[in-house]
Amino acid sequence: MFLALRELRAARGRFALMGAVVALIAALVGVVSGFTAGLGDDTVSALRALPADRIAFSAHAGTDFARSGVDPATAAGMAAAPGVRATPLGVTITRGTTRRGVPVDVAAFGVDPAGFLAPRGLTGDGVVVSRGLADDGVRVGDTLVIDRIGLRVPVVGVAGRAAYGHVPAAYVSLDTWEKIRASSGPREYSAVALKTGDRADVAALDRRFGTRTVARDAAFAAAPGYSGERITMNSILVFLYLIAPLVVGAFFAVWTVQRTPELALLRALGAARRRLLGHTMLQAALVVVGASAVGGALAAAVGAALGSAVPFSLPPGTLLGTVAAVSVAGLAGSALTLRRVTSPDPLTMLGANR
Amino acid sequence: MTVRTTADLALESVTVVHGTGAARTTVLDSLDLSFSPGRLTALVGPSGSGKSTLLAVAGALLRPASGRVLLGGEDVVPLSDARRACVRRERIGYMFQSGNLLPGLTALDQVLAIGHLNGRRVSGLRDAAAAALESVGLAHRAGHRPEQLSGGERQRVALARALVLEPAVLLVDEPTAAVDRSQAAGLAALLGDAVRGRGRTAVVATHDPAVVEAADEVVDMAALAGGQRPRP
Ligand SMILES: Nc1ncnc2c1ncn2[C@@H]1O[C@H](COP(=O)(O)OP(=O)(O)OP(=O)(O)O)[C@@H](O)[C@H]1O
Ligand SMILES: [Mg+2]
Repeated sequence: MFLALRELRAARGRFALMGAVVALIAALVGVVSGFTAGLGDDTVSALRALPADRIAFSAHAGTDFARSGVDPATAAGMAAAPGVRATPLGVTITRGTTRRGVPVDVAAFGVDPAGFLAPRGLTGDGVVVSRGLADDGVRVGDTLVIDRIGLRVPVVGVAGRAAYGHVPAAYVSLDTWEKIRASSGPREYSAVALKTGDRADVAALDRRFGTRTVARDAAFAAAPGYSGERITMNSILVFLYLIAPLVVGAFFAVWTVQRTPELALLRALGAARRRLLGHTMLQAALVVVGASAVGGALAAAVGAALGSAVPFSLPPGTLLGTVAAVSVAGLAGSALTLRRVTSPDPLTMLGANR
Repeated sequence: MTVRTTADLALESVTVVHGTGAARTTVLDSLDLSFSPGRLTALVGPSGSGKSTLLAVAGALLRPASGRVLLGGEDVVPLSDARRACVRRERIGYMFQSGNLLPGLTALDQVLAIGHLNGRRVSGLRDAAAAALESVGLAHRAGHRPEQLSGGERQRVALARALVLEPAVLLVDEPTAAVDRSQAAGLAALLGDAVRGRGRTAVVATHDPAVVEAADEVVDMAALAGGQRPRP
């Protein structure tokens, strides 16, 4: 401990520089993680909030609500199947205007007001808006005008925060949803939400009704923007996790080469290899873990400064995970250089080669 | 036969070969030499005669091609690297020509560092370290870092560090080579003080008349080589 700390203090400028780089990387990882989670929530939180465990789409629609269409007979047939609770679901993104004339995007979720998907307070002709619309000034008692068709829907409740494809959700009855969808074809829902027990034979249902049933979370991928955003953000994270060990590794490689003479001196004076390794690892741990924690705090501060206007979500668990992951990546980088710590030759102390 | 002490240091038919191929040189050739505890031995001889090499062999820094190095009666040549490092830190004090000090550490910390390498609690060594600095006349420089010390002062810090744990053997290579004349005389006197009446074996390789003057015995490497049996 003694020598490790004294060396750290003696070279505090260099360690501070390296620490600053690690802290910035950790902060960036935290911020990117926060946006990944925040944007993800903003895209699929309405789906995640559905109290269903599976969703049945029509056969060739993939998991895309816009392309899928399920007729009422299928929905009813599924609901009648043993061991399954089923209720129709309509999903359409549209535009509306609030009482104050503010234009808003609305992800209209058509649900049966008596079914298990319905939010508290939903009526046959009203709308329950999610928190995001309430933030835009929509209040219970207001009227929301659906632009294209001029439909006026009274606001009867406010549910929690839920969004689909970066658009805040609003729950309406299936009848209202049919009007919003404004399709000239036969009556159709987007999909059927299912609550299945362990005994339910989903494959048999799909064969019987010509549907394609997936787990609720598997439907996320087709939400507008979801896959693209995740690939972008995750590739940034992957690169950061590659950069972190390389930066720390390069720093410790240079640091170790620079103090080759001192390491040779310590070896000559009889320092055990284990002690020199431990001492270098301790320095790395102090700097890397400390800097990662600072970076984590920085990311949390960024999140707090952004407020609720921006889709950013960095809960304490994720933040701690980020700090730990950057620390591990950094320590792995420093471990790459450990071999050099014990390689300086103590014989170089003799004679005038210094 | 005298009583054997931990300070006994003897080389028995030690041969050291440096380099390979055309650069291959036999530096020490079946050398027999023993040093007396309580006396300061000066190793003299022309440059390249093997003084530093002898110190390296005696100090368990270099393994000879053959021969035995007896430290307190124990041959340290066949010991493992880890055991030889342990011998170095526990039983031998070293002082090199230059580069003795760790950058950025105060004189006091330099002395404490050797205790740390020995697994001692540094807090328990502060008094001994301060006393060691005092004994080399540097009590007033305890808080100074290497770049704030003169060449002679640095060497005295190195001597304080070499002595603080009271090693049985003190090995010194050209202590005054990078030091001016007036400092050299002071260092030579300190070396003498470090040995006499303390039962410690001390060997110093030097070209400096002031150091030779302070020594109790002088071993001339050139004479040793010449006096040995001819090579086969
Ligand atoms: N690593 C090495 N490889 C090859 N030869 C070496 C090596 N180290 C030392 N030598 C040779 O060994 C001989 C003895 O070197 P040593 O350093 O012991 O001499 P010295 O008496 O200490 O000299 P000086 O008074 O200049 O310090 C020299 O001829 C030197 O060239
Ligand atoms: Mg020499």
